[in-house]
Amino acid sequence: MDIKLWTLHLLKVLFPPQVLLPDIVAIDIGLTVATIVIGAYLTKTRKWGWLWHEWLTTVDHKKIGIMYLIAALIMLFRGGVDALMIRSQLIAPNAHFMGAQQYDEVFTTHGTVMIFFMAMPMIFALFNATIPLMIGARDVAFPRLNAISFWLFAFGAILLNISFSIGGSPSAGWMSYPPYSELLYNPGVGENYFLLSLQIAGIGTIATGINFLVTILRMRAPGMSLSKMPIFVWASLITSSLVLFAFPPLTVALGLTMLDRVFGASFFTLGHQGMPMMYVNLFWIFGHPEVYILVMPAFGVFSEVVPTFSRKALFGYEAMVGSLLAISFLSYGTWVHHFFEMGAGPTVNVFFGLSTMLIAIPTGVKMFNWIFTMWGGRIRLTVPMLWQLAFIPTFVVGGATGIMLAAVPGDYQYHNSYFLIAHFHNVILGGTVFGVLSGMYYWWPKMFGWNLNQRQGTWAFALFVGGFWLTFMPQYFLGFEGMTRRMATYPAGLGWTALNVWSTVGAFVMGAGFVVMVYNILWSRMHPDWDTTGDPWDGRTLEWSLPSPAPEYNFARIPVVRSRDEWWSMKQEGRTDEVKTSEATVRPIHMPRNTPMPIMLAAAFFVGAIGLIFGWFWMAILGGVGVVAALAYGSFADYSEIEIDAKKVLKTEAQLGRVES
Amino acid sequence: MDHEDRQPHRIPTGHGDEVELAIFSPKMHQTHFPSLQITGYLLSIILTLLAFGMVAYHWMPMASLIPVILILAFIQAGLQLGIFMHLREGRGTTWQIPVLALAVSIGLGIVGFSIWIMMFKSGVS
Ligand code: HEM
Ligand SMILES: [Cu+2]
Repeated sequence: MDIKLWTLHLLKVLFPPQVLLPDIVAIDIGLTVATIVIGAYLTKTRKWGWLWHEWLTTVDHKKIGIMYLIAALIMLFRGGVDALMIRSQLIAPNAHFMGAQQYDEVFTTHGTVMIFFMAMPMIFALFNATIPLMIGARDVAFPRLNAISFWLFAFGAILLNISFSIGGSPSAGWMSYPPYSELLYNPGVGENYFLLSLQIAGIGTIATGINFLVTILRMRAPGMSLSKMPIFVWASLITSSLVLFAFPPLTVALGLTMLDRVFGASFFTLGHQGMPMMYVNLFWIFGHPEVYILVMPAFGVFSEVVPTFSRKALFGYEAMVGSLLAISFLSYGTWVHHFFEMGAGPTVNVFFGLSTMLIAIPTGVKMFNWIFTMWGGRIRLTVPMLWQLAFIPTFVVGGATGIMLAAVPGDYQYHNSYFLIAHFHNVILGGTVFGVLSGMYYWWPKMFGWNLNQRQGTWAFALFVGGFWLTFMPQYFLGFEGMTRRMATYPAGLGWTALNVWSTVGAFVMGAGFVVMVYNILWSRMHPDWDTTGDPWDGRTLEWSLPSPAPEYNFARIPVVRSRDEWWSMKQEGRTDEVKTSEATVRPIHMPRNTPMPIMLAAAFFVGAIGLIFGWFWMAILGGVGVVAALAYGSFADYSEIEIDAKKVLKTEAQLGRVES
Repeated sequence: MDHEDRQPHRIPTGHGDEVELAIFSPKMHQTHFPSLQITGYLLSIILTLLAFGMVAYHWMPMASLIPVILILAFIQAGLQLGIFMHLREGRGTTWQIPVLALAVSIGLGIVGFSIWIMMFKSGVS
């Protein structure tokens, strides 16, 4: 074939008109410049080796946690910019700041990024940063698999994010329902990007679920029975099991959709007796447990934050665990509430309406547990505690509107209106995001070794929470007024304008809160307030018995646990010397060795995915071969560990002042 | 100290010897050819193709199709558990019973409820 024609064709596939909008081109140029500057900086300061050895090939859970956190904050920025674009379009009737197609792409990316590439990694950041430290372990059960999970997530995120400059973004919403996601109605590569990026990140997520299940069940320090675990660990255990059961249906739904689009199958198509509603069913079998995957870790964070800053043991530990278990079990029996309007029939709808309402009971139990923990305690209003105080009323409103949506006849009115939008932002922002931010501020000194400035943190908090209420309360009323979700623009004269203006103003206030938070982080980095004690909050659980940040092996000496808040009892009973080593007791420590296999594996997945997205099957096969090669390399050549000898351990511990004479 | 001779009732010393990092005890030194695993792998592929063929090429009337596919699914699940999930080996077999029961009930629940939901015994829609 004529090479010139061929190149022209390739350029057309890679750069269709929708990626050549001026704003996108400007962003492309900005990102290219930024990449060049960062690359030049790394070369000039000779940091490539450092990056590779310390970060890209690491299997240390603490570093993986930090990488998850940074990635999640970047994705929060990306998703936030999308949100501001949506709100800018809606500030006035008949606004055409974006065309309808671009508007669809932006809200699709917003939802997908926020759920899968912001909230999930934020949660895994907290798991990685804290779980081994809280249970007295030296790493997770499968450290290399942990790195594989991270890199699969990272390459999945990159895949979704490049879609807007190469080939075109997905536009079928974060749920990607057929028939609109069908090839017939949605040609182009955007939807394929969606499918493949979630599929790749999803493999990583399932692996993380398994990893933390095994870690928590099998690697606790001696004496830490299940009933002595911190609640955050319980929440993580239950979240991990939810991941294990919930993600496979998503994998199936995405996989079959891919077969439909790429290989001409007809599982969910309108024609050929496909069953589009089956996609919806499968998606929500995943989707409803997913919302609890998002919120349970936040419940866990608050169950650590409240006792620490109230100086009291958690009220009703058993009730807390019981309600977590009840919620996780019930969350498998409610998924139809997302599609009552499909019309499966009154019996089906009533069944699922009732099962949904039942969830409010264990959730209410938890609310009272936190309140009773604070009751009569000596409360310190630190930044993590402020986030938790804002969480309680916000989440109560979100739960109450959830009950309204669960009432079937009511839902026929509210469904897919702005009322629904307000509901789930109320629970996801007010629950998950407030929770992970609380956790981030709480464990920051443990992760990095320096504290975040409290005053700036309070400002960020105030702006964010104020902006949040201003954004989403008007949306409930917009829903009552009949404004449906996903409208690219709306006519004047319907009484929607003022409410939309408030909502947009609120969104920008929230954006200002995010900017202050980033400033808070950067400022505190440049004026570090080092945490030399390892226990800046006067904490209760084992991670605070370690120096900040913990040495690579975490515990030179594995603690023997006797009570629930072990570090607190050590402090109360004057047993804190138990965490120290001595010349007589120190032992060499085995740790897993760094490996390039995880990043290679994920890169191979990436190449294969690009092949499938564009229908270049030679490239898909190449990627597949790469995956097999990386796995083979990993199985035969790569398993190894290092031994940190006793002298080195002793020296490190002595520098940290943790050696008994 | 070896991993294998550890007794559950031994009093831990708190020096790391009780911590299990799975990466440190890979069972890699099996020498025999994994013929069981390969048979299992081939059987799973055959079962999948069978199910696919039955739907795609209408080998069977609708009424018997669903039960037959469910039976195939059970065989498939049994294969996976028995051959790849190490159900028959390992410590704490009693532990596995509640977990397995949960998994089975969730699995059956998903399939059963989905069939119920998709039957559309609907007055309104
Ligand atoms: C008392 C607790 C809750 C109840 C009763 C409840 C009920 C509901 C109902 C009935 C719907 C469907 C409404 C419709 O589509 O018309 C819904 C949607 C939704 N809920 Fe909740 N919910 C609760 C808690 C949560 C929590 C904790 C989260 C997440 C952390 C959450 C996230 C969502 C999301 C993401 C959607 C809709 C997604 C979409 O359609 O794009 N909900 N909720
Ligand atoms: Cu739901």
